[in-house]
Amino acid sequence: MKNIGKGILQVAVLMAFSELLNWFADWLHLPVPGSIIGIALLFILLQSGVIKVEWIDLGASWLLAELLLFFIPSAVGVMNYIPMLEQDGVRIIAIVICSTILVMVSSGLLAAIMSRRKERHAK
Amino acid sequence: MNSILFLLATLIVYMGAKKLYRRFPRVYLSPLLTTPLVLVIVLLSMHVPYTHYNEGGQWLSRLLQPATIAFAVPLYKNLKTLRKHAVEIVASVLFGSIVAVSSSALLAHLMHLNHDLMGSIIPRSITTPIAMNVSQAIGGVPTITAIFVIITGLIGSIIGPYIVKWLRIDGEIARGILFGTAAHGTGTSKAFELSSLTGTISSISMILSALFTLAATPILALIMLP
Repeated sequence: MKNIGKGILQVAVLMAFSELLNWFADWLHLPVPGSIIGIALLFILLQSGVIKVEWIDLGASWLLAELLLFFIPSAVGVMNYIPMLEQDGVRIIAIVICSTILVMVSSGLLAAIMSRRKERHAK
Repeated sequence: MNSILFLLATLIVYMGAKKLYRRFPRVYLSPLLTTPLVLVIVLLSMHVPYTHYNEGGQWLSRLLQPATIAFAVPLYKNLKTLRKHAVEIVASVLFGSIVAVSSSALLAHLMHLNHDLMGSIIPRSITTPIAMNVSQAIGGVPTITAIFVIITGLIGSIIGPYIVKWLRIDGEIARGILFGTAAHGTGTSKAFELSSLTGTISSISMILSALFTLAATPILALIMLP
């Protein structure tokens, strides 16, 4: 029970932090959203010891464990674009599938080759 | 009142979908696929418009922002590993990002997609808020980009495991890079299913690819000029 309260409080703190940064990014007309600035800022605060990781660990791991859930309402939004998808959907899906395969193969293979080479050098 | 109902419905369908996926872990039963599918069918058959549903749904979308910030925690915990692999990560994500925008543009051109859709599909592989920004700047339609981003996430988390198997990519670093570069946050949540380190590498790859693509906006705008 105590843990649930702690987790909810930590999520609320992270939420307030992200609202604040959004407002800040809007105010300065930054092209980067508040949440990306938030990752950098929170990372710096953790690294410098201003914030202890225990203070937010539980809330953060909750949010990350249920990450998929937060994409669901936007995925449901596809229903508004059914006419567009009926017209161009096949081409769009074909582009996304081909391009995604290309991105995965190129980035994954380059990373695998580079790590393998590094390991060999280490030996 | 209704918004609470839609929020609860989303949570219940999601929990059911997760249970189903735990019992039958097949890619096509991924909760990201089954949950929206069930909800869309229910909403359409009951003639509920999306805006109505989203009065409840938006509360979940809002949590995406603190969840994105929460990525700082695994980054902090895995800093040593990240430093050790910084070169591979930066090089592979940069390469992957170039492939992502150029192949999307080229394929859109080959398939005669109209100008608006082409601008909207180019930034499809990066995280939604930045993708919408880039789309706006290069003459796309930000809301359509958001749809392409979610389609990319779905497709990426479905085919990612096959690519990993097919190419025999067994390193956690390379796997994380592959998911984060190709399929942003959705791919990252898939990567966290594999291991915590894979998820962390995926989240840093997601951030980097978004920043690289954002930095390339002026070049992309040039490509988009007719």
